[in-house]
Amino acid sequence: MANRLARLVNIRPGEGAFAALFFLYFFLVTAPFNILKSVRDASYLDDLGARNLPYAYATAVLIGGVVSLHARLQARLSRRVLLLSSLAFFAATSVLFGLLFAWGEPWFGAGFRRWLPLPFYLWVNVFNVVLVTQFWFSVNDVFNPREAKRLIGFFGSGGILGGFAGGVLTWLLAGTLATSGLLFLSGGFLGAGAVVVLLLLREQGRRGETAAGPSAGRLTKIGFGDCSSAVRSDSYLVLLAAVVFVTGLVSTFIDWEAKAIVEGSVAGGARTEFFGVFNAGLLAAAFLFQLVLTSRLIDRFGLRLGLMVTPAFLLLGVGGLALWPVLAAAVLLKGADKALGYSIGQSARELLYIPIPQSLKYKAKAFIDMFVNRLSRAGGALALLLLFLPFRGDASRAWPWVIGLTVVAIGAWAVLNLRLGRAYVNTVKSQLGQTWERGEEVVGHRVDVDLAKLVVDALESRGRSQTLYALHLFDLLRSGRLTPEVGGLLSTGLADAAAPTRNPMWESDEVPWMPDLSDAFPSEVLEKNVREIMALPDYRNLMAGYARRVLSQLDVAAETEKMELAKALGMMGPDAPAVLALEDLLAECSPDVIRYAAASAGELRRREFVVPLVSKLADPRTRDDARLALEKYGGRIVGSLGDFLADERADEGVRREVAAVLARIAGRDAAGELLESLAAGAGALELDLIDALDLVRVRNPDFVFPAAVIEPMILRQAARLRSSAPDGEDIVLFKLLGLLHNHEDVFRAYESYRKGTKDGVAYAVELLDEMLSRELREKILPILERRP
Amino acid sequence: MIIHKRDKNSVVVFDIEGELKRSDITDVTLHQLVKGELDAGRRRILLNFEKVPFIDSFGVGEILASYISTHNLGGRLKLARISKKLFLIFQVTMLDRVLDIFDSEDAALQSFLKD
Repeated sequence: MANRLARLVNIRPGEGAFAALFFLYFFLVTAPFNILKSVRDASYLDDLGARNLPYAYATAVLIGGVVSLHARLQARLSRRVLLLSSLAFFAATSVLFGLLFAWGEPWFGAGFRRWLPLPFYLWVNVFNVVLVTQFWFSVNDVFNPREAKRLIGFFGSGGILGGFAGGVLTWLLAGTLATSGLLFLSGGFLGAGAVVVLLLLREQGRRGETAAGPSAGRLTKIGFGDCSSAVRSDSYLVLLAAVVFVTGLVSTFIDWEAKAIVEGSVAGGARTEFFGVFNAGLLAAAFLFQLVLTSRLIDRFGLRLGLMVTPAFLLLGVGGLALWPVLAAAVLLKGADKALGYSIGQSARELLYIPIPQSLKYKAKAFIDMFVNRLSRAGGALALLLLFLPFRGDASRAWPWVIGLTVVAIGAWAVLNLRLGRAYVNTVKSQLGQTWERGEEVVGHRVDVDLAKLVVDALESRGRSQTLYALHLFDLLRSGRLTPEVGGLLSTGLADAAAPTRNPMWESDEVPWMPDLSDAFPSEVLEKNVREIMALPDYRNLMAGYARRVLSQLDVAAETEKMELAKALGMMGPDAPAVLALEDLLAECSPDVIRYAAASAGELRRREFVVPLVSKLADPRTRDDARLALEKYGGRIVGSLGDFLADERADEGVRREVAAVLARIAGRDAAGELLESLAAGAGALELDLIDALDLVRVRNPDFVFPAAVIEPMILRQAARLRSSAPDGEDIVLFKLLGLLHNHEDVFRAYESYRKGTKDGVAYAVELLDEMLSRELREKILPILERRP
Repeated sequence: MIIHKRDKNSVVVFDIEGELKRSDITDVTLHQLVKGELDAGRRRILLNFEKVPFIDSFGVGEILASYISTHNLGGRLKLARISKKLFLIFQVTMLDRVLDIFDSEDAALQSFLKD
């Protein structure tokens, strides 16, 4: 039975006692609050009437002082002392008000007794602000977003059940106990609450849960100014404060509308019972809604949609009340406001605080919940008084204006909620920090790979041949990479570089001379000259003959000449007859010759070189150079590469490398080839193809991949993970998700997930929760949450 | 550009003075001068670049045409005393691998004896 209940409310093993204590804590705060609230509303309408309600609402401005005092107490007291002393204070003052309601008139006179409901109204509001806020502080301290999202329905239902119990008790006991008796009963509930808090703190200590925030021990000192500037400094918090303010405005207008109807429809002596029944009834509805639907609704439709539920219902309710201003319509509207506010509204709002950094959260929550929320009541009161002014105290004539203002405020609320929902996702992202970056991109962003290769090759060539070295220098020069720093690096140890050469010019006894650009012609002159020389027909014919001569040499000594030739051919232009020698050079045994030939083939990009280059992908010594060369062809060889990829008879290593080349080419056609192979069933290449598509996605964030192809793969991968696939395969799932959703966000989540901490996983899952489709959410998130 | 011709050890030596470039073209080009010598039966030709500060692609074309013409008649055309600055052009175009280039006139003349 207990297990079934735990499953119903989404409590996991080991959380039962802790969750139950939080449930009870909230119950024992809201039960007395609902008793007090019924007494508050009835006594106010009885003694002062609905026309004076704006003054009661206006007492909310005094809440600012309470917030300030509470903040100071937070700064000075440990959480244990703060929670227990607050409960003790309200228990004692509840009894005191009970005494004043009973004997206030004989002790202090009729005037005192008539206006007693006004300070009592303020006191009940302070009770609500302080004790309810302290409860949510405690929840925020202990639970991460995922836990809170899962358990918030259960805790919230504790509060609603408490409110229901308070309402029923008021209804049952109002006739026998009178006002003072109900207040003594409230004091008793608060005493029991103190006992539960003691047990809760002990359980928290036993579990070793320590809150990162100030409430873990002695709180850091935060004043009202600190709280206010903390909110103003953060646009998300400003938005949250605006939503809370407008919510309060709407609630104040609805409260007045409903009570004005109640005053005219329910007789004076029966109002405490009426409010008791009313509060119990609406809380019963809220309880069921909270227990069964709130978490599931937010889980299924997300927080953003959850935020829109209350404004939508209230808009309908206000419309109904405008058309039929009767008690039933008022009860429905007020009931919707409170029931939805207690359940989904409160839960959603608490979730909105969770991604805020701890350093800001306490200040923001104190300011928004205790001050902005109350200020909104005062704002509502002021708006009502201003609307009443033209009608000289006959508030009923202002009715249509109040209705109109309520509709406008609900509209503003909905708009702000939409913006807040978007801002929430961004705030969760900001909590996750830096996104995970692919190795290629890290290297690409931080290192000029081409420059590094050129410089290394140039340095290496100094020991081989001056011509090869000169070719490298020229390459650096024409690519604009021969900076003073690179020049300095290349000239290091130049005098010691013994350069073996067969050229007669160096057969003298002089110290070998190495090419140097320090006194060369200006680069543009040199480059133009070389280009024009290489276009000369005589030059081309001579070089073709030279190439034949060099290729005919089979001895090892010809290796350097072949390297020089391979390098020079890359500069000659694709239409020079000599460049066809690259096909033969690519077939050479020497990896160094192949390296240069591949680089030149990549420069010239003639179709004849594609097949020899692909064949070089099989050899680890030439693989990188062949891959780089093929990448330089770009989209024009995608079809040919696709054929290699699809050829199941071809070497698996070559096909794997072809996939990597296609990934780096990264165009739509390349993505199409990769996707086609993946969809056709890539077998052993599946992970390589997914990785290749991931790289395409990184380089082309705007590409749209077909969900119909990717989603089944995601679900297959999720099933693999469920059946305990190796740890390293988690990333495959994220790569697939990144093909369908914002890649950066998905990998921000991955970075957080791979930390492996409880909070890291929770924040990752929370972000995915906001972006995935319902089906994927339901299938994947539980797996990620439960992975070891 | 001025080109002086002299004979040394039965080698025709052309001393070139000035920039060997398209805009400084003379009535008789280097290639025509070489062809004249080839027509006269001379087969050993040395181009001395000691006083050549610059060669453009036209100049290189003249050298290559001269080389091919000489080579096709079984002769030898060699180059000497090219400045380091100019030599870079020959290296980058790989012509240092095709042409016979020497850092001194004597070395070049000696090499004709070995052919």
